[in-house]
Amino acid sequence: MSGARVAAVGVLTGWGEGIGALPDDAERAAAGRPILPLRIPPRPGERFRRATRECLLGLASVEAMLEDGGLGRDAIAGDRSALVFVTAAAYGSANRAFIESTTTGAALHFPYTAPSAVPAEVAIEFRLTGPYVILIGGAAATVDALWQASTLVERGVADRAVVLAVETFEECGSLYARGRWLSRRPLVEAAASALLVAAREKPVYRRSRAARAGMESTRRRAGETLACEPLISLALARQRGHPTDVSGQWRGQVATLSWPAVASQRD
Amino acid sequence: MTLRGNSVTVLAAGVLVSVGSDIESFWSALLAGVDGITPIERFPVHDLRVGRGGEIKKLPLAAERLPDGRASQLLVCAAEDLRRRAALDCDRTRLAVVVGTALGGVEQLEAALEDGGTLRHAAGAFYDSPAHRLAGWLGATGPVITVSTACASGASAIAIGADLLHADAADLVIAGGYDALCRFVMRGFDALRALTRDRVRPFDRRRDGLLLGEGAGLVLMAREADARGRARLGRLLGHGSGSDGSHVAAPDPDGRGLELAVRTAMADAGVGPADIEMVSAHGTATPLNDRIETAVLKRTLGARASQVPVNSIKGALGHTMGAAAAIEAIMCLLAGQHGVVPATVGLEDPDPECDLDCVRGDARVTRARVSLSTSLGFGGSNAALILEAGA
Repeated sequence: MSGARVAAVGVLTGWGEGIGALPDDAERAAAGRPILPLRIPPRPGERFRRATRECLLGLASVEAMLEDGGLGRDAIAGDRSALVFVTAAAYGSANRAFIESTTTGAALHFPYTAPSAVPAEVAIEFRLTGPYVILIGGAAATVDALWQASTLVERGVADRAVVLAVETFEECGSLYARGRWLSRRPLVEAAASALLVAAREKPVYRRSRAARAGMESTRRRAGETLACEPLISLALARQRGHPTDVSGQWRGQVATLSWPAVASQRD
Repeated sequence: MTLRGNSVTVLAAGVLVSVGSDIESFWSALLAGVDGITPIERFPVHDLRVGRGGEIKKLPLAAERLPDGRASQLLVCAAEDLRRRAALDCDRTRLAVVVGTALGGVEQLEAALEDGGTLRHAAGAFYDSPAHRLAGWLGATGPVITVSTACASGASAIAIGADLLHADAADLVIAGGYDALCRFVMRGFDALRALTRDRVRPFDRRRDGLLLGEGAGLVLMAREADARGRARLGRLLGHGSGSDGSHVAAPDPDGRGLELAVRTAMADAGVGPADIEMVSAHGTATPLNDRIETAVLKRTLGARASQVPVNSIKGALGHTMGAAAAIEAIMCLLAGQHGVVPATVGLEDPDPECDLDCVRGDARVTRARVSLSTSLGFGGSNAALILEAGA
């Protein structure tokens, strides 16, 4: 075993649960709404009383991933499981809440301003205590995250890796409205996770500045989901068979992770 | 020591902190035990319990020459220091930038939310904006990656930079970390009552909290084969990380994630406890952190833990957050190169519960070629690096 393959993917978006909820044309389906929010019910228990919406979305997406793979929680617990989190903007709402908080509320909000709060809640809930990476950026960063996850498995420091992406926009809607020409519409909140496990074939990682064919199709269906986009692409590819490559673009950079022939994926 | 062949060469470094605006002044200040903590002047702190930190009073480059935003400015100044020491002589599409940060451009978000806030402020508030500004400044068009494992970010970035080289995704990597002091973070740590009203006292019996600092530290890395014949600062021999999975803000009381990070880094490097000649501890001077680190070092290094010199430079600089691990890695390489371990500023009365060989008083002349650097951060982030000076 010197590589890694995708064993499960979980997707939640402002359109609903799973890729079956995605419309054919996000822009048309949004009907002028700039942001499609993703709301989930609060979780019971004292531990989740302070957790932000982004944290809860992260937990829900990992649960969806386990369901996709027909796996129990024990399948990802322990120090042989790596966690790689990526987001372009999911810290914005917590940062804004902290900036606008009163003195007494500041201590409550501050720990959740760190991008590490989301993977921390996931690590605590699912007892993920292995290698740990957090990347910041849009879709290209998520491909970097998938590459990092496969590298951790290839290096033998983990047997499996969970790649998690979360994006929320609603609380900072006024800021996105100012820059409406900088990002596509609609902005669709999302949370997505993929489980990578050891496999024979080693995926090839490439960086370039040239856009690749097929990158637009996920965005056309899901809308602008920033870091979640490549994981949604993986879910769509798995529906069709097995992923052969996944690409992401952000700030003019393109990252691609390509798997060798599908036949050698299952071992 | 049986190196596993995972090492990458560190060709040069650049730094900017409160006690020095380049490698030479930084190193001189560490050896002299300079305390870089001063009253903060750049933004209002009158309503906070603590208004001191490792603030950089004057940037080495004129502000009008620099990009917008304090965070980007710190990064660019450190990069200019680095560029004076080593040529970035590769195809610019093969030059990567990997930087770690706990705060990104958050000060720009505060500005964006104020009356008169601009789109430029809002765009700068993304945590990966400073990395892209640095890449633009350098003309680097290879991979640009931002890492945010809180206060372990600098170590994580250096580790990912090494992985990029191994994956042949770049020929040269500028990696490190940065963070700027701003009202946002001062208010946050003040609200958590994590800041001391005394001085920062790592591993001291009287330690009762940290003080924040600001800065940037960058290293230039290349594959061993590509670095032959070039002057070098040293090597990154191995790296590791680990998640606590125990609390959003506080470290795991048993240090499980840190222990995994240290063991992974040592295995990656192919070194054993006997090979470690110096430890740069995270050493925040909070009661819990220093106790946890002591326990983890004892478990991972065994008897060697009490024989190897340990220091923390946070007493001098404050906790520079996302920059800390990168700056400490640079300090390790300089210590190994010069054969001197800087003392832990603020450590006067060692805590018996932290019974390591912490260097205090004067810098210690000793062999320190192979070092272990440890880092912990919010969210249960832990990272460790194994470095070798010279070679």
